[in-house]
Order: sequence, then C-alpha cells, then structure tokens
Amino acid sequence: MTMIVIGVTAAGWLIGLATGSLSTFADVSQGVFFFIFSLCGVASSIRLVTHDRPVYSALYFVLVVLSTAGLFLLLEAEFMAFALVIVYAGAILITYMFVLMLANQAVDSDQPHTQALYDRIPREPAAAVGVGFLLLCLISGTVIGGTSSLPTQGVQQSQWSTLEHLSKQFESSVMELDASFAWPPVDSPSGNKIRHDGIEAFIVSSDGTTLVLPTSLLPTNTQQVGWSLVNDFPVSLELAGVILLMAMFGAAILARRAIELGEQEKRNVLLGNNRDANPLDDSGDQS
Amino acid sequence: MMTSSVLAGYLIVSGLLLSIGLIGFFVRRNLIVMFLCTELMFQGAAIAFVAIGRFLFDYSGQVMVIFILTVAAAEAALALALVVLLHRQRDTLDADVFGELQE
Repeated sequence: MTMIVIGVTAAGWLIGLATGSLSTFADVSQGVFFFIFSLCGVASSIRLVTHDRPVYSALYFVLVVLSTAGLFLLLEAEFMAFALVIVYAGAILITYMFVLMLANQAVDSDQPHTQALYDRIPREPAAAVGVGFLLLCLISGTVIGGTSSLPTQGVQQSQWSTLEHLSKQFESSVMELDASFAWPPVDSPSGNKIRHDGIEAFIVSSDGTTLVLPTSLLPTNTQQVGWSLVNDFPVSLELAGVILLMAMFGAAILARRAIELGEQEKRNVLLGNNRDANPLDDSGDQS
Repeated sequence: MMTSSVLAGYLIVSGLLLSIGLIGFFVRRNLIVMFLCTELMFQGAAIAFVAIGRFLFDYSGQVMVIFILTVAAAEAALALALVVLLHRQRDTLDADVFGELQE
C-alpha cells in the first residue's frame, strides 16, 4: 500500500516536472517526443537490468536503441539515427541473440520457466546502486551547473562550413539559381561565406545584393557528417579501420582453436562414415 | 533552435542511461548481460555527444558516434567469441565462476 502511494506521488511529481519543463522547448511537439523517447529509453534500460531472462534483456536493449535513434532524429542527426538502428539493432544485437541462444541451457527440466541461479540472484545490489547513484549525482550536478553558465542559444558559426569546401559545385549551383550574382560572396563578420539569420540561409555578394539559398542547396546531414569525418578525423578513421581488422583477427584466432577440435572429430566422423558407406562390403567380409 | 536547458535534458537522459548501465554491470552475474550493460553505457555516451554537437553546431559529435559504433562492434565480436569459449569450458555464464580461472 505504501509502495503504491510512493509510486503515485513519484509519477505525479515526474509529470509535473515534465509539463513544467515542456515550456523550455521552442516547439511543444518536440518536447512531447523528447519525453516519450527518453521515458521509453530509461524504462526499458531499467527493465534490461532487472529482467531475469537474458534474451528479454537483449530485446529490451533493442527498445533502448530505437528510442535513442528517436532522440537522434529530434537532434537532427538523421544519418546517425538510421546507422544506429541498422548497426546496433540489426547487426550487434543479432550477434548477442546468437550467442544467447547458443549458450542458453535448460537448467531444470521440471521447471522450464525458471532461470539459472546466476540470472536470478544479483551481486552486491546495494553497493552497485550506491555507486550508480553517486555517478548520477555527479553527472546531473555537473550538467546543471555547467549548462546554466552556457549562453542560452548555441553558436551558429560553423553550421554551413561544409559547402564552402565544395565551392566549385556551390558556385555553379548559385549561378544556375541567379546568373547575375557577383561571385564570390563576401565573408560574414564571423568568417563564413554563408550566413544564417535563424530562419533561412543567404549569401551577400560584393555589390551588396543578397541571395536567399533554397534548402536544396544546403548540405544534408549525411554530407556534413561525411565531410567532418574525412576532413577533421582522417587519422581516427584509419585507426577505426585498424580496430575492426584487429577484432577480425582476434575473433578468427579465438574461433580457430575451437575449429581444430572440430576438425579432429570431423575426421573421425568421416572415417566412420566411410566404413558405414559400404555396408555390403562389410557384411560380405563377415559372411 | 536549442536552448541550454533543452541540452541539460538530453544530458541528464544520457547520464541516466550511463548510471543504469553501470549498476547493471555491477549487479548482473551473467556475462552476456554484463556486456549488454556496457553497450547501454555506450548509448548514453552517444546521446551526450550528439546533443552537445547539436548545441554547438559541430558535426564532430556525430562523427564520434561512428567511432563508438566501431568500438562497440569490435567489442561485441571479441567479447562474444571469448564468452562462447568460456561457456564451452565451464558450461556456465556465471561471471564469478571465471574468477577461478587464474590459477
């Protein structure tokens, strides 16, 4: 009974907190989606930790990945949202499910629905919750203290820097749009050719005419991420390739030992099969 | 536009995922679920990267998520290969049993 009262109070407090902070979002629907996705993600991550069947834990992790992808969509990171769904929910989680199915054994044939003892009994729950709570306190304290000292609006300088690197292509598309535009455009005070007033992007030519750029001319999220990847982090990109190669080597070496054992067995099985393959010969010898 | 209080909301969600993942890593004894909890911590870090990148209009945050995906994929491949080997040796997934491996 007291648990229900505490639960209802906590839920009411959370709802009040949510509706109070909804007003901080410029767009209310964005705030609603933020709360839906974050509640879904946090609830399913709690269920991931508390569920006693590992397969269900993996499925709840898919839910966490999907709600993270939703949050990425709200953050205008479309490419990363879809990459997350494809790579995480599609590839990594399938590997986990394979291993879970491989390693899952029936513990007790009398009670097929109970899990192994190590899945049901936690290890040091009180200490773990204490450490987690400390970490959460540190993080939220830093976040609240740190974000209150930030400027209320993010800076917007480098948003369109990608297109300026592709200036040849950009110039021809601007010329298609308006042939009388005097190329090149003048830099803004912050050093960018493409300016942004919060609503639309525009460029200013040397004779003072402004040209509003249509959204089809602006770089897509994938273009921006790809440009940033190869332009700002070329060494890290190579290192990521080396990490994947090393993981491939490591997995191959780990699996090789297991296959060598299997090879021996296979040879035995093959020899046995050869003997069994000619039952007439064997029976002929015996008779 | 994104205000700093909206950024704080995203960062707190990422911190929640991180701490729940940490708690799960300490509490669970199943090796595979422990690795799932590390993936959960990766998710929290990814949300923080993308949210701060969006606030600063810097696409490096999203590039970092690509590297997180790389590391997570490599970790999943290696760790799961190891788990399968250990499971063949001892026929259990209990993390405490493998503490005795070091003799």
